[in-house]
Amino acid sequence: MPTPQNPAPTTKAHSLSLDTWAVIVALVLALAVRFDVLKNVPW
Amino acid sequence: MASSTSISQVQPDNRLLTALNIVPGILLLAGIGYAAKILERSVNAYAKAHHWTFPNIEYVLWAILIGLVISNLLAVPKIFHAGIATYEFWLKLGIVLLGARFVLADVLKLGGISLALVVIEITLSLALMTFLGKLFKLKPKLISLLAIGSAVCGVSAIIAAKGAIDADDEDSSFAIAAILALGALALFTFPAIAHSLHMNEVSYGLWAGLGVDNTAEATAAGALYSDAAGKVAVLAKTARNAMIGFVVLAYAIYWASRGQAETVSNKAAFLWKKFPKFILGFLLISLLVSFHTFSKGQVSSLGNLSKWAFLLTFAGVGLRTNFREMSQQGLRPFIVGALGEILIACLTLGLVIGANRIWGL
Repeated sequence: MPTPQNPAPTTKAHSLSLDTWAVIVALVLALAVRFDVLKNVPW
Repeated sequence: MASSTSISQVQPDNRLLTALNIVPGILLLAGIGYAAKILERSVNAYAKAHHWTFPNIEYVLWAILIGLVISNLLAVPKIFHAGIATYEFWLKLGIVLLGARFVLADVLKLGGISLALVVIEITLSLALMTFLGKLFKLKPKLISLLAIGSAVCGVSAIIAAKGAIDADDEDSSFAIAAILALGALALFTFPAIAHSLHMNEVSYGLWAGLGVDNTAEATAAGALYSDAAGKVAVLAKTARNAMIGFVVLAYAIYWASRGQAETVSNKAAFLWKKFPKFILGFLLISLLVSFHTFSKGQVSSLGNLSKWAFLLTFAGVGLRTNFREMSQQGLRPFIVGALGEILIACLTLGLVIGANRIWGL
């Protein structure tokens, strides 16, 4: 049972940087546009 | 810009909660952005219908103005704060997608000119800010932060440098406030000066990219002049951002040699850690477009997605600019920042005019 003196084991999670997320999302959007999932995005 | 690690208990519920936290703020950004688009269209149509001589106010300015009014005249409820902070993500997403509007040849030509000017700009800015900081007897590490912020890329550079030179929180918040306040002023002064000088779009875009420190403000200042100027401003600012690692490394080595910062053992790893990775995404998209991976209509769609991302950014620029908070940060750093920025703006304007004469921009 975790207590303040003996906390539960934590997992070191490497979170991605903002830059990396921006690149990933941009590439997903580019793929969606390339394969016509997203078509004629208006402005 | 630096990658971050966090120690967290892996709890899907918490992650879901964090994701939900940002929704109200993102909706606010989108709402302001869309209102700005509607205002641009309806005000211009109304003025035209009534034969008024009215300046064409673009959505960029409307989005910033609405954000400024909300942030400075009304209190933004806490529920929106987390989502508003995502404006930097939309900025980077917009820049990566903007790669679709540049073929690689343009990137190499304009990027090459930008890089040459960036090296001169960084050298002059660092020297000037250091001189002014010493003249006004600011603390040495605050001088370093102001110099890095004005020479490279504003807030991101200051945050990257803070850890590397072991500066304290107070100094970095002074430097960030000065850079943000001056960036907000540049939004209104740069386009006005450029119009009075009848600058062409490429020259102005280069000037905005070189002279305005924070990437969001540089992008907005460029877009306020014209769409094409906005594109060039982003490219020039991106070239400037690419230098962040080298400048921060030089300062880290300097402060380590004085025993006031940790020694950098692996310089290549340090440079990679500080390098803004979204630039690689921008180049990759530009490369794909150059090899005709996308049809003309698809390139247009990617360009429009980039504009939507920037729209949220511009709303965020207005919302996070609070003049009352900035005025509480101390006068001397602001005076040094303001004097430095005015001189840097004049120097970069001279550089761009010179480049225009040499290369015919």
